[in-house]
Order: sequence, then C-alpha cells, then structure tokens
Amino acid sequence: MNVKKALFNIFGPVILAALILITILVMPNSSHKISQKTIYQASLSQSKNIFKGNVVKRAAFEENYVPFLGSSEFSRMDSFHPSSMAIHYDRSYRPFLLGAPGSQSLAQYFGMQGVNAALKGKKAVMVVSPQWFVKKGIETGAFNLYYSNLEAVSWLLHATTSQVDRYAAKRLLTMTAGQNSNLIRKCLAKIADGQELTSFDKTYLKLKYNQLEREDRWFSTLAMNDRIGKIERVADKLPVQEDFSKLDEVAYKMGQKSANNNQFDIYNKFWNKRLKKSWKHLKHKQSHFDYVSSPEFADFELVLNQFKANKMNVIFVIPPVNTKWMAYTGLSQEMLDDFNAKITYQLKSQGFNHIVDLSQDGGVDYFMQDTIHLGWRGWLKMDQAVSPFLSEKQAQPTYHLNKYFFSKEWQKMQGEELSNFLKDK
Amino acid sequence: MINMQPYQNPTYFLYLLVGLLPIMIGLLYGRRFKVYETIISFVFLVLTFGGDKWMQGVSIIGYLICELILIFAYLHYRKSKNSTGVFIGAVVLAILPLVLVKLTPFFAWQHLSLFGFLGISYITFKVVQIVMEIRDGTIKELDFKGVLHFLLFFPTISSGPIDRYRRFIRDYDQAPKQEKYLKLLGKGVFYIFLGFLYKFVLAYLFGVVMLPYVSKMALASGGISKWLVAYMYVYAMDLFFDFAGYSLFAVGTSYVMGIETPMNFNKPFIAHNIKDFWNRWHMTLSFWFRDFIYMRLVFFMMKKKLVKSRITMANIGYLTLFLIMGLWHGLTWYYIVYGFYHAFAIIICDAWLRFKKKHKKQIPSNKFTEIFAIVLTFHVVCFSFLIFSGFLDTLFFR
Amino acid sequence: MKETVLDILANITGDDEVREDLDMELYESGILDSMATVEMLLELQMQCGIEVPVSDFERTEWDTPNKIIAKVESMG
Repeated sequence: MNVKKALFNIFGPVILAALILITILVMPNSSHKISQKTIYQASLSQSKNIFKGNVVKRAAFEENYVPFLGSSEFSRMDSFHPSSMAIHYDRSYRPFLLGAPGSQSLAQYFGMQGVNAALKGKKAVMVVSPQWFVKKGIETGAFNLYYSNLEAVSWLLHATTSQVDRYAAKRLLTMTAGQNSNLIRKCLAKIADGQELTSFDKTYLKLKYNQLEREDRWFSTLAMNDRIGKIERVADKLPVQEDFSKLDEVAYKMGQKSANNNQFDIYNKFWNKRLKKSWKHLKHKQSHFDYVSSPEFADFELVLNQFKANKMNVIFVIPPVNTKWMAYTGLSQEMLDDFNAKITYQLKSQGFNHIVDLSQDGGVDYFMQDTIHLGWRGWLKMDQAVSPFLSEKQAQPTYHLNKYFFSKEWQKMQGEELSNFLKDK
Repeated sequence: MINMQPYQNPTYFLYLLVGLLPIMIGLLYGRRFKVYETIISFVFLVLTFGGDKWMQGVSIIGYLICELILIFAYLHYRKSKNSTGVFIGAVVLAILPLVLVKLTPFFAWQHLSLFGFLGISYITFKVVQIVMEIRDGTIKELDFKGVLHFLLFFPTISSGPIDRYRRFIRDYDQAPKQEKYLKLLGKGVFYIFLGFLYKFVLAYLFGVVMLPYVSKMALASGGISKWLVAYMYVYAMDLFFDFAGYSLFAVGTSYVMGIETPMNFNKPFIAHNIKDFWNRWHMTLSFWFRDFIYMRLVFFMMKKKLVKSRITMANIGYLTLFLIMGLWHGLTWYYIVYGFYHAFAIIICDAWLRFKKKHKKQIPSNKFTEIFAIVLTFHVVCFSFLIFSGFLDTLFFR
Repeated sequence: MKETVLDILANITGDDEVREDLDMELYESGILDSMATVEMLLELQMQCGIEVPVSDFERTEWDTPNKIIAKVESMG
C-alpha cells in the first residue's frame, strides 16, 4: 500500500499532465474567436508565424481582408503603401500582407494550403518579383523560414495523385524542411511516387493536424511584429481628399525629401544602412544576372493552379528595377523584358488577365523606394489599378491551365528560343 | 536504420520510458537485472551511434578496445611495480586519442576526424581517473564488465556528469533498498521534468528565440553596443539552461536506474565569488580538474618543495588547471583567453579572501555586501561566457 | 592525537577558531580549500604517519575538525 501510494505520488502528476496534454492537442479545434485587433496587427506584421499558420489568416479572410502575396516590398511602409491607402481612405477591403524577404512561389503555394476553404472565391493581389526567378529557384534556407509542418499536413490531407500534386510533393522533398518529420516525409514520398495515402495515414495526419493547429492558435500571435502605430502614422500624412494628381504631387515631394543623399534616388535610410559601405563594389556586378531560366516558373504555376482550384480572381503586379541603379550595376533591361514577356505569357495564355505591368517605370522619379522595391509613386501607381479591381465587382474569370508550364523545357526556355516561341503564339 | 541523439526529442523519452520500465519494476522489488541493463544500454548506444552515425560507432569501439587494454595492462603492471615513468606514459596514452581529436580542426587533418565520436572527452576523463586511482592504490581490482558499464553508462555518455568509478560500482553492484529507491525514483522523475522546463522551454526561449535576434542586432550595430551586452546575458542564460537541462535528464535517468550520478549544477548564479562559482557550475568537471590536476600538482610541488610560497604554488595550480580546461574546450584563442580569465579571476579572488581574513574587523559584511558579491560574480561569469561564446571573434575579427 | 590534528589545522588556517568549535563546517565556511587540504594531508603524513591519497579524499568525510580527528584515529 505504502509503495503504491509513493508510486502514485511520483507518477500521478506525470500521467495527469500527459492526459491533459493529449486531450488538448488532439481535440478538434473550438471556434474560439480571434480578435479584430489581432487580425489587424497580423495583417501588417509580415511575421513568419502568421505566414506559416492557419488560424489568423483564416479568420482574416472571413472578414474583408484580401491576401496580398509577395515578398520584401511589403516592408516599404511609406504613406502610399497599400495598407496605408486602404486605411486612410477607408476602402471596402484591407490588405493582409503575406510575404517578407525570400517568400517565393513555393512558399506562397504551401502558405495557402491551410486556408484554401477561406480563400474560395476571394480576390487576391500578387506582386511577382523578377528576383525570385533565379537559376536555382527558391533556396531551401529561405523556404524553410516560411514552411511549417502544419502547411504540409494541411496539404497532405487533400493531396491526390494528380501531376500537380506529385510535382508539389517532389519540390517539397527537395527542401530540407520537408525532411524534418518522418510522417510527413513518408507521406510526401508516397504522393511523389503516385501512390494514394492509406486511411491510416490520413487518420494520423488528421490527429497531427489538430495538434499543430492548436499550437498555431496558441503561439503564432505571441511574437508578432506590431506595425499598427507605424502604418497609422504614415497614413495620417495623406491628404484628406483622394485625388490622383494631388496624391502624386505629395508622393513626389515625400520621395524628394527622403531620398536625396545618393545619386540613385534611393531612400536615405536604406542607402545608409545597406549600400553606403558597399555600393562602390557593386559597379557592373549584376550584368550576368538572369531571371529568365528558372524552376521558379513551375513553382509559380503551382500557385496559379491553387488560384484556379480556389476559384480566386487575382491581379498580378510586376514591379520594375530602379533604372539608375540598373545602369550602374549593369543589370540588363533586355533580360528583364524577356522575363516580363515570359511571365506575361504564362499568365495570359491561361486566362489570368489582370496584370499591372510596371516593368517600364523604373526610371520614373521616386517610383522606387530603393533598388528593387516599390515606394511612393510606385505604390500609388499600383494602387490606381489594384484599388478599383478590389473595390468593384469583377466578372468571374475562366482559367484554362496548361501542364506545359511545369515542364523543364518551359522552365529553362530563354533567348531566341523564347522569342520564337512567343512569336508563334 | 534510425539514429537518435540523447534527450533531443519526445520520442527519445518515450523509448527511455519503455526501456527503463523493467529496470524500475525490478528495483522496486529490490532486484537489479544486470543482463537486461546490459542489453538496454547496448540498444540505446546503438540508437546514438548507429544509423547514419555508424562511423562514430566504429570509432568508439576501436577507442574502447585501446583504452581497456591500457587500463588492464597498467593494473597488471601496478600490482608488481610502481614507476612514475610508466604512470605518466599510461596517462599520456589515455588522453592521446582525445588530444588528436581536439587537434584535428586546428591542423585540418581530415582523416583524423574519423576518430571523434560524441562524448569522447567524458569517457577519457573516466579513463584517466581510473589510471590515477590505480596509481594511488585506491583501485586494486577491476571488474571488466563493471568498467565497461561505467565507461559506457548511456544516460551520461554524451556530456557527463562525470561519475567516479568506485562510487558508480557501489551503486551498480547492488540494488537500493525499496524505500531509498522510491526516493530516488521521485527525484529522478522530478529532475527529468525540471529538465524539460530548462531545456525545452527556457533554453528554447533564450537560445532559439532571443539569441539569433540579439546576435543579429549586435552584429548590425558593430563594436561595443547595448546589443552586445544583451547578447552576453542571453548567451549566459542559454548556456546554463541548455546544459543544466541536459544534466538534469542525465542525472534523472540515472536515478531511475538506481545509480546516484552526481549533480552538475547547484544554483551557480547565486555564487558569492568565483571560487564558489566553480563549486556550483559544471561541478563534476571542475571537481575532476580539482582532484586530478590541481590537487595532485600542488601535492607534488609541496612534497618536492619546488616552490616556497604557498600563494605562488596555488596560483601555478590555478593557471595550469584553467589553461588545460581552456585547451580542452578547443584550440581557439577565445577558449584559451577564457581559461586565463578564470585563472586570474580566481587568483584575484584568493588575494581578496586573504585580505579579508586579515582585516576582518574593518570590512563590513551584511545583506548589501552579500548581494553586491553575487551581482559582481554573476557579471564576471557572464563576461567570461561572452569570451567563451566566440561571438567576439565573429564581431571583431571576421 | 587530537591535539596534533588541531595543531596542524590551526597552523594551516592561521587561526585558532578551529579549536573552539569542533563541529564547524571547514569547506563551506571557506576555512579550508584545495590548497589547504593538500597541506593538511602532507602534514598528517609527516606527523602522524598516515597516508591518504588525493584520489581517496572525500570532502564530506573530512569537513569538520571532529570528523578529521575521527578519520585520523581510525587510520592511525
């Protein structure tokens, strides 16, 4: 008896703790509401935990938040940033920023997997940076930052043996993060191999899903960037009346005032922090840069497939590069034009017709905030197209996707081959 | 085949629970199932050194064969003779593999890194200890299976705590009384759970959440900045909770197996001076250095009357001890500076203690001076960890 | 024997307080440290003829004057 009591004293709390933990983790999620304030803060945060999670995004998309998919440009928060404009002019929509440095197509594709239901029939904005389309595509280190097991488990629960899913599984397996759980790795290998998941796999995934989503609900909002104050401060500087020529004048003046310590019209703070020390070494250093031949085109096709599956209506923004900076570093405009033609073809031939092509505007004064990121007048021009698209009712597009865009041939096509190909069409 | 590093993930603890259950039941009934313990130790060693780490597995087998031959050969020799030269030779041979492994990164002899395996330092400490005790005559007989179990005791294989042979064998040879075992089991389970808090919550918070951020900020600010100070504190906390957490797992698991592996940490950050700190921080290592290097060296110097002044003798002892400890961490400037830093800190501390003793009446001693001493010691220690982290190297020389 | 041990202790620590309280904690209070321990072992070896190897020295068995006296008497 004495021994039993002693053992109970030792292991009782342990067993109790284990039981509570298991119950909490495996229990299906309750619909505990996420506050408007949290959603608002998350929409501006660009925090990785928000990007990787499901709960906050889902809650946001059920409101009037529109996903703005992109990467580093979203952190250029001046007065003309889409979030600032939407807040100040009290638009019918609010941007939910999804992306930070390195969140390229594949990260965006998996980022949508837990919230596809909430994205059904929604509009979205996607800023497609030419810089994503490098020779090797997304680096695994960058991808890992935006990857969570929750995304993969959410995806696996709906994965089929279609060519698209097999491609996605193969891609994920090439990323080191895709290897960090035995369960996920095995299931991905099955899908990549063209096998169905067993019902045992699915049950296990479902339990895992409950656990991960529970963790997401508890922890994803804990260490979130708070940019509410910042965006409201810059939004306050906008004129009361929304009048384009007036706004453009303000944008010009703001740019002029804060980008004047260098010859490239780059934002002073960015210049001091990132380029002042190193710019001299960068002369002619980018002449070999190439954004035309890249596996990113196939990853991008994955994203388009998801847009179609979710019946989303998406407007794409193609940003330019700062022309003065280009001339200095030797980045080729011809190459950028090729990229532009290639991506435009991939979009339009499949029925994605809303494209904001800013690729020729890199020389417009104070269009860019720095070397490759939109700023003041650039944000404003983008807003000119994006705002009506989101505010007004749009005809439902019909997409007709072509598997060809997954092929190695398309990924690698460049130069003359590309121009002949595009000419034929 | 799977590979699993000790105490790294929940699955390991699950395996541990299943593997140790028969041992627990046996011990509850006052029985130690030695054959089962041997089998389960082997299974866990294979988990650690098998799979894609099989190269380490081969190394550890080769290493053990050499060290066992050395130990038993020396024991055999010592039964009839006792020459100092042979003793020194045995110690040199015992630490030779470790020295070679430590030299590898320095000279980049690629093929030599094949020798290395997880925990080689800790097994070497145990071997040297056995050799020294054979020399002293405190170990007269060795049981082959006992030595093997002692050297390969799997809960402590990767990073200690460093147990002593005679102490270990006393526990291993018998099962504790039921009442005592229940107490051990209770403590063991508590230590493991405290370890969870240290390693998976606090060390995660400091090491994974905060450290990369303060490190980035400190590098961006460059030079001496408030972020460097923040880095110092965060690193010190991470180092403590990570290592203390690990040690709690090792000690807790040992207790569950009825072996009272000594504790490694005893609230080091409330130490009143640097000497006190080393009696509280990584205790089994510092006691090992104290007993097998410092005291032996001082004993030798005193007996042979090599040095007249006691103070000089103590200081030579400290410098030797901490220089060796620094070198043991690795052949980089910051580990060596770390060693010297602690040696000088302790020399100054000793001088202060002598001064204090002489002027007992004039020097106040109250709550305030006590708190001051703790805060001062804490900062001296934190700064030493900043040196130890190698971050200054990255910051200033890379 | 007791007197010899206390003489040695007082000599090493440079203080007569060890004679006054035979149950005082020698290590915890900082009166003895590793250095003083080695001196004590050497003195015991020379004056009382008992040999304690450093590796056989267990601090908890030697941490008060009384324990030391008992230890020495049991060995002598």
